[in-house]
Amino acid sequence: MDPATSRPAVVIDNGTGYTKMGFAGNVEPCFIVPTVVAVNESFLNQSRSSSKASWLAQHSAGVMADLDFFIGDEAVARSRSSTTYNLSYPIQHGQVENWDAMERFWQQCIFNYLRCDPEDHYFLLTESPLTAPESREYTGEIMFETFNVPGLYIGVNSVLALAAGYTTSKCEMTGVVVDVGDGATHVVPVADGYVIGSSIKSVPIAGKDVTLFVQQLMRERGEHVPPEDSFEVARKVKETYCYTCSDIVKEFNKHDKEPAKYVKQWRGIKPKTGAPYSCDIGYERFLGPEVFFNPEIYSSEFSTPLPAVIDKCIQSAPIDTRRALYKNIVLSGGSTMFKDFHRRLQRDLKKIVDARVLASEARLGGEIKSQPVEVNVVSHPIQRFAVWFGGSVLASTPEFFAACHTKAEYEEYGASICRTNPVFKGMY
Amino acid sequence: MILLQSHSRFLLQTLLNRVHNLDKAVELDYNWVEFDDVRFHIQVSLKNSHVLLLSVSLPSPPAEAIFFNGLPFGAIEAIKAAYGVVVQILDPPKDGFNLTLKLNLSKLPPDEEYRHAILVKIASVREVVLGAPLRVILKKLGSRAVAPNKDRLIAIVHRPNESFFLVPKVEKVTVVYPMRFTDSIDIVLATSFLQEFVEARRTAGLNSAPSCLWSPSPPPELEGAPAEALSANAGFVTFVIFPRHVEGKKLDHTVWSLSTFHAYVSYHVKCSEGFMHTRMRRRVESLIQALDRAKPNVENSKKTPQSRSFKRLSLNEARTNSKS
Ligand SMILES: Nc1ncnc2c1ncn2[C@@H]1O[C@H](COP(=O)(O)OP(=O)(O)O)[C@@H](O)[C@H]1O
Ligand SMILES: [Mg+2]
Repeated sequence: MDPATSRPAVVIDNGTGYTKMGFAGNVEPCFIVPTVVAVNESFLNQSRSSSKASWLAQHSAGVMADLDFFIGDEAVARSRSSTTYNLSYPIQHGQVENWDAMERFWQQCIFNYLRCDPEDHYFLLTESPLTAPESREYTGEIMFETFNVPGLYIGVNSVLALAAGYTTSKCEMTGVVVDVGDGATHVVPVADGYVIGSSIKSVPIAGKDVTLFVQQLMRERGEHVPPEDSFEVARKVKETYCYTCSDIVKEFNKHDKEPAKYVKQWRGIKPKTGAPYSCDIGYERFLGPEVFFNPEIYSSEFSTPLPAVIDKCIQSAPIDTRRALYKNIVLSGGSTMFKDFHRRLQRDLKKIVDARVLASEARLGGEIKSQPVEVNVVSHPIQRFAVWFGGSVLASTPEFFAACHTKAEYEEYGASICRTNPVFKGMY
Repeated sequence: MILLQSHSRFLLQTLLNRVHNLDKAVELDYNWVEFDDVRFHIQVSLKNSHVLLLSVSLPSPPAEAIFFNGLPFGAIEAIKAAYGVVVQILDPPKDGFNLTLKLNLSKLPPDEEYRHAILVKIASVREVVLGAPLRVILKKLGSRAVAPNKDRLIAIVHRPNESFFLVPKVEKVTVVYPMRFTDSIDIVLATSFLQEFVEARRTAGLNSAPSCLWSPSPPPELEGAPAEALSANAGFVTFVIFPRHVEGKKLDHTVWSLSTFHAYVSYHVKCSEGFMHTRMRRRVESLIQALDRAKPNVENSKKTPQSRSFKRLSLNEARTNSKS
């Protein structure tokens, strides 16, 4: 028997904004770090300008550049303190755009963060439902050729997020996954573990936009936050103080009546001078998350509220799946963590559905009463890393190892085997 | 990042987290595995959340390596010396592990710096335990007190069912690693890496580093070693350690570097493979660009210049193909 199957699989969910990595069987990832690489480009530039004769210098410059890089929070810190490091974000909108940076990122995840030998573990990686098969081949190539992993499974993140639900409810593999991450929001219907590709809807508003909006609101009110810090402060303010309200007008009134209760303080230290400062946090507490429900307050290009997008998505799915889809709407991704987000989503969506039912009954003259549609938005505490958690659960089922592509298969058939990854029994 | 650090990053992060939130009751239960099959388990219970149980399982030792009660020679003493009152060794350890430590976080010293140092040391438990026999011998070398039955060959486990070997003498300790890799490309890369490594040692500036040798066949020092230990598909590396390499603070560093030498080489082999792939991708991309430029200018308007794969046909192409 392959000894690697006796060790926990490595589960890495590479998100546009954050990477969640850890070992299967645990309830939380070991590390959540920004998906970013800081590369020291000065070596590369040097090597280009030098002549052909000094290939050795060129070679070692390349080697140095190859070793001199950082990922995650360290990368961000490096790029702040020195100009020799350039940040590169290997994943854009859920798709790997820079494979060199991605390979380096994985290298650090494996050797420096998890500190495991990739030859000792099966790997479960994730991809967006819109990922092209070519990208899966590339991933397979890197995993099998560079890292020599014994086995690999690439799971669709929405499907994994659905699987995450099944310790809290039953193992339901039909549902709509609303994944609101850092850079992209996807609404993905899944039936029996298979993504209904034609019905996937995307929203160009996600966590980063909420941060930008909070930043903008604070700036416009004239809060004194050092400009080089203002994005980070806005992000932290968002993560700590923002919540979803049920009605903006009422919420404005509440704030105006009892500012002492609603207005919060942010204290920070100026990075340059080290002097402390503080600022107020007011309406942005509820206006931030409101961009999902009233996008026009933030963007002039996109104006469909998230509940309406979910409704459209389900309406475009095959008719026999719709009821089951309305019944199991699962949240995933960091930007669904706002307090009461699921309540608001459920209420708004229910309104849309009920209105449609009423309208159709009126059209039919009240002769036929249809069965009420059950709308259920599921929320659970591990939402922030639901995809990772689903991966962790699936990768610890005995069926997982059989569903993986193995190194032997890769060597026999080539990277094209990675194009498809079976939905396996553990998923039901 | 060229060297592997001696502490487990995740363990240190968890310890620091616990120490900073000691008054908050939490429940923790984590299992993970680091290189060379060292497995960890930590557990904190809600009732008693200033106590943390840390269990470690070591790579299974080959016959020639000496283990007492499931631990390498000298490990118990090393743990006691390193951690003092903060740590208690549980006997027997948790099922499936070689060692279980009970950490009492409320007994940590109040001094910030000292406390941090102890936590780093706890997170380096694999170095303390697996490196114990090596440390004992190198310490004796430092004080020039190597035991009289000196010509014996000592095996120290570093990977599952694999060991490296020490030949302690009064004035020097010779360390020999049989290097093994499973993947055929790794074997080639490792072999050339090791030859370069030995070559690099000869260049100026590294004169005080331990001298090292690579040979495709077992060196004479390994005479008397078991037959399995004498087979190695990437040759044998020999270091000669002198007392000056283990003086004072250098000891810890030398122990760690020697006990993880195989992991170090393996990591570098992976880095080089990554590096070559980067080069290959650039090459493919520039070739594709050259091909694109060479195409007659009929329908070039919509083509993206950096299509990333050979196999991806643009819609246009697919259509014209099917029509013709
Ligand atoms: N508690 C929280 N409340 C609100 N937003 C959060 C919270 N925690 C994280 N986020 C936001 O979630 C986003 C990251 O979500 P994630 O699902 O990890 O993204 P991705 O998978 O796209 O990288 C970031 O914008 C982050 O600021
Ligand atoms: Mg995500």
